[in-house]
Amino acid sequence: MLDLVGRKLIYLLPVLLAVTALTFLIAALLPGDLALAMLGDQATPENVAALHQKLGLDLPLWQQYLHWLRHVLSGDLGTSHRTGETVVHAIAGRLPVSLELLVIAQLGGLLIGVPLAMLCAVRPDSAVDRVVSGVAFGMLSMPPFLLAIVLIFIFALRLGILPATAYVPLAQDVLGNLRSMALPGATLALLEWPTILRVLRSDLISTLQEDYIAMARAKGLTARRILFVHALKPSSLTLVTVVGLNIGRLIGGAVITESIFALPGIGRLLVESIYTRDFIVLQGCVLFVAVAFVVVNFLVDLLYAALDPRIRHGRA
Amino acid sequence: MPSDNRARAGLALAAFAALACAMPAGAQTRGGSATIGVEQDIAGFDPLIVGVYDTGQEAAAVLIFETLTRLDGSGKPAPGLAQSWEHSADFKTWTFKLRPDVKFQDGSPFNAEAVAFNFQRQLDPNNHCRCAIYVSNIAKVEAPDPLTAVFQLKNPSPNFAPILAPPTVNNVIHSPKAIREMKEGYNRHPVGTGPFRLKSWQSGDRIVLDRNPDYWDKERPYLDQIVVRPLPDNTARFASVLSGESDIIWHDRADDIVKAKKNPNVVVNEYAGSGAQVYAFNTKRPPFDDVRVRQALRYALDLKTYSDVAWEGLWKPAKDPWGPGSFVQCKDSGALPYDPAKAKALLKDYGKPVEFKMVVTATPRGRQIGQIFQEMWREIGVTMVIDQVDQTTLVTKAFRRDFDLTPWRIIDLADPDPQAYANFHTGSPVNLSDYSNPEVDKLLDDARTSGDQERRVEDYCKLAQILNREVPWFWPLDNHYFSIAKPGLKGVPKQYSDIIDLSGAWWDKK
Amino acid sequence: MAALDATGALGTAGAAAWRRRRLGTVFWLAVAWIALVLLLAFCSPLLPLADPAKMSLLARRAVPSAAHLLGTDALGRDLLARLIFGARSSLAVGLLAPLAATLIGGALGLLAGYFRGWLETITVGASDVLLAFPPLVLALAVTAYLGQSVPNLILVLAMLTVPAVTRIARAGTLGVRERDFVTAARALGASHTRILLREILPNIMLPLIAYFLVLVAVIITAEGILSFLGLGVPPPLPSWGSMIAEGRDNLDVAPQIAFIPATAMFLTVLAFNLVGDRLRSITDPRRAGS
Repeated sequence: MLDLVGRKLIYLLPVLLAVTALTFLIAALLPGDLALAMLGDQATPENVAALHQKLGLDLPLWQQYLHWLRHVLSGDLGTSHRTGETVVHAIAGRLPVSLELLVIAQLGGLLIGVPLAMLCAVRPDSAVDRVVSGVAFGMLSMPPFLLAIVLIFIFALRLGILPATAYVPLAQDVLGNLRSMALPGATLALLEWPTILRVLRSDLISTLQEDYIAMARAKGLTARRILFVHALKPSSLTLVTVVGLNIGRLIGGAVITESIFALPGIGRLLVESIYTRDFIVLQGCVLFVAVAFVVVNFLVDLLYAALDPRIRHGRA
Repeated sequence: MPSDNRARAGLALAAFAALACAMPAGAQTRGGSATIGVEQDIAGFDPLIVGVYDTGQEAAAVLIFETLTRLDGSGKPAPGLAQSWEHSADFKTWTFKLRPDVKFQDGSPFNAEAVAFNFQRQLDPNNHCRCAIYVSNIAKVEAPDPLTAVFQLKNPSPNFAPILAPPTVNNVIHSPKAIREMKEGYNRHPVGTGPFRLKSWQSGDRIVLDRNPDYWDKERPYLDQIVVRPLPDNTARFASVLSGESDIIWHDRADDIVKAKKNPNVVVNEYAGSGAQVYAFNTKRPPFDDVRVRQALRYALDLKTYSDVAWEGLWKPAKDPWGPGSFVQCKDSGALPYDPAKAKALLKDYGKPVEFKMVVTATPRGRQIGQIFQEMWREIGVTMVIDQVDQTTLVTKAFRRDFDLTPWRIIDLADPDPQAYANFHTGSPVNLSDYSNPEVDKLLDDARTSGDQERRVEDYCKLAQILNREVPWFWPLDNHYFSIAKPGLKGVPKQYSDIIDLSGAWWDKK
Repeated sequence: MAALDATGALGTAGAAAWRRRRLGTVFWLAVAWIALVLLLAFCSPLLPLADPAKMSLLARRAVPSAAHLLGTDALGRDLLARLIFGARSSLAVGLLAPLAATLIGGALGLLAGYFRGWLETITVGASDVLLAFPPLVLALAVTAYLGQSVPNLILVLAMLTVPAVTRIARAGTLGVRERDFVTAARALGASHTRILLREILPNIMLPLIAYFLVLVAVIITAEGILSFLGLGVPPPLPSWGSMIAEGRDNLDVAPQIAFIPATAMFLTVLAFNLVGDRLRSITDPRRAGS
């Protein structure tokens, strides 16, 4: 087990390094001179040259990269030239919002997906199973912005019971916050549950076919006990993996959802930094998201290895 | 100083004159909070970092900061942070006597040194401030004694006092102590002398301002708290005022405004300002170096339909850059009519195919406008490609003349001089079209230095005729500023310069 | 067995039976829809449609009529014409980007899975690195900075999809390369090229095609998202995403402006997903007969 961790760690480090290099490269190669953006109409050739020197933009690329990397490793992701705010501060302010959205989305997805998966798995191919699976499949084909619009149309415009855009910070008003996160959370949850359903359902179906289930049934155990205790447990591993991977993906902020519902999360920070040509924020943010993704995936991988008895005992 | 008999454009921090005359019967109450929904996210307040304020920043700036002068209800300059002023005979030296016993919100004293510091900082070439253009007429600011600030101007400016009134990036007075101590951090921690001070700032979400207990006018402000929320999404912002989450919003979507007018739960505040929505041709680049092409494009614009379609007729076609709110009203500005046949004839005369790029803002509205112009010009056989950029890039491209055709604003100000001079005079950095006409220069210089109102109106009208004929710029629509608000929010003056000013607002508890 | 779940070994016997059981009416309906959309998109310049960019400024948000079969949008443009020309844009990107990605990613995955060693390590590592980046943000950044154009869109979406295809191709190749007929071919002295092209490629072809179809669905959605944010297909070229974005401002007065292209996009994405998924479940290499 320990050497498994060691092996994965050895693989992780070069990946992380490559991620930092690629992030730097992308931001550096995007057209648009940072100095020009900062100087605006004051961008005479002399001013630009002077600013280049001051920012170290006239150094060769690999030197700039090392310089930047050094800052990053000491916790400095740079400062936005547009607002004077440090990137770390900007991210720290937005992260709780994205995290809250993420948690609500996963919980919602599980709340819908798990019971439905169990329902389908005990009666595969029945009308219920076909309908639910069909709906799940349909949901997967739904573009996220479309779902958001439909929900806004129904709940905010026509029924007027939920707000479309009034984000209230959690610290200010818990109830208001939950109300304002209801529609965006629902949007994401509705997009997550089909995957959870499909994975869990096929997992449950194959588990339910196993010999030991037949034996349990023969022994006279109730269906519910069989389902929850014997069938669901092995599948919980898959669930954890799926949810873990989703977290890694959604840390980048659900960009569309945050934009449509006016939530001040990381996704919106990323998009805004693109629109406003705020290279430094873009770079720092993308790095954060990419590194978080890699690290979370790594942890999920470890968790999977730790929990799956087959891997733990060396049988892959 | 201009004197005129029409109520007209100018920033009225109406507090003193207007409010004193117009207080409703006993309904003015203290307390309460108000939320303003603005369009753009607020980057910050340091002129050196942001360069220019948009309407969102100004809505906050008018609460946190103050300026040397204000404009009263009839547009005449009134005391602000300065109690009185006088000028030299040649209008090049202005001396302001400052209000005593005023403190910044960090406790440091407001004095002439602070005024000098603020303006010198913008002018200092080492600071590379993108704001420097707008104060380019100021040579030096001196502080001979703590309550006297002296401005030395490069050119005569008879209207200097009202020019200092609106809370623009150049005019608001920041605390030198705060700037010196916080440096780049100051941008997000503004400190002024105004009736509200910064309480908290959640990046990308809201700015919370609370009442300044040490404000020099003990009667003001009435509200306890104001929250400024950037809501860039139009639908979201409109929904927020309908649902009551916002108390007042800045809005310019015609469809929504029409809807709001029919809705009994909200009121629409409307103000026809001076200035206009304008576009600049780059006359140094083909095909716009040829006047025939410019005229053709202008003849091809059916402004009435454009106004009806894109703006529900709420913004009217403009005849000149002065606008309905200006004291300059011309009998005949020589605006070109809609005449597609003439447009095609001119292009035939020109002989070469016409293709170019037009800059628009990367917003749904920008795209919509772009597509409408694209279509109107397609009808006369011209190919226009839409170039979408964000607001910051638009300004940068404009200043660097990196465009064929770009939008711009001539905003509602007390006097046409600053913007007219900047936009149309040979050699000005903001003369985006790089148009040079000695007759135009002469008219501008004359209007700038003359004290005779009627003569100035004549100058500007002649100027409009020349510009309408030569079309280095064109102005499709005039400036109408709108806000949508809850009926109970009172004490909000007209949206001069498109600024929502809640500094003197209160809740009518009836 | 349920439609979405692959089961059992497939023998050649009863092939017709499985075809009938596996692909059902829904599958063929999806194929029909795809064919219809492709046909309309391809032939759009030849069809008697209104000009999708022409604005009838006096007939805005019109309900369906003889003149405008599906009505008009907020600027008075014919919705039917825009819908069909929008299909053209969405499908151009939706087909070409996955195609490029499948060709490149397929080749990479094939080589990586076959030769293994450092080639595989680098390919997999590079894929992992690329997959760590938020794809939407990268696409936005590229179109924002490099300019909006259909070629740019295809390029960036293809690049972002290559890692996923590489994974599938590599997994498939790994499964096939150990099989008897491959070992036999190698023992007989066949060259690598021959083995790759004759033995391995045909066996991973079907899963790749199935995945390609699913990718089409994903890319159409991605293009829709980018156009929705204003950074997809440049105006005045209509695309379903930008039509939905424009229709959003009119949801309360004329919801059909948004919901008509939305329905078209949803049905098309669903159709591609269905076809790809069915094919994938049939040709799943894990279940292929040994």
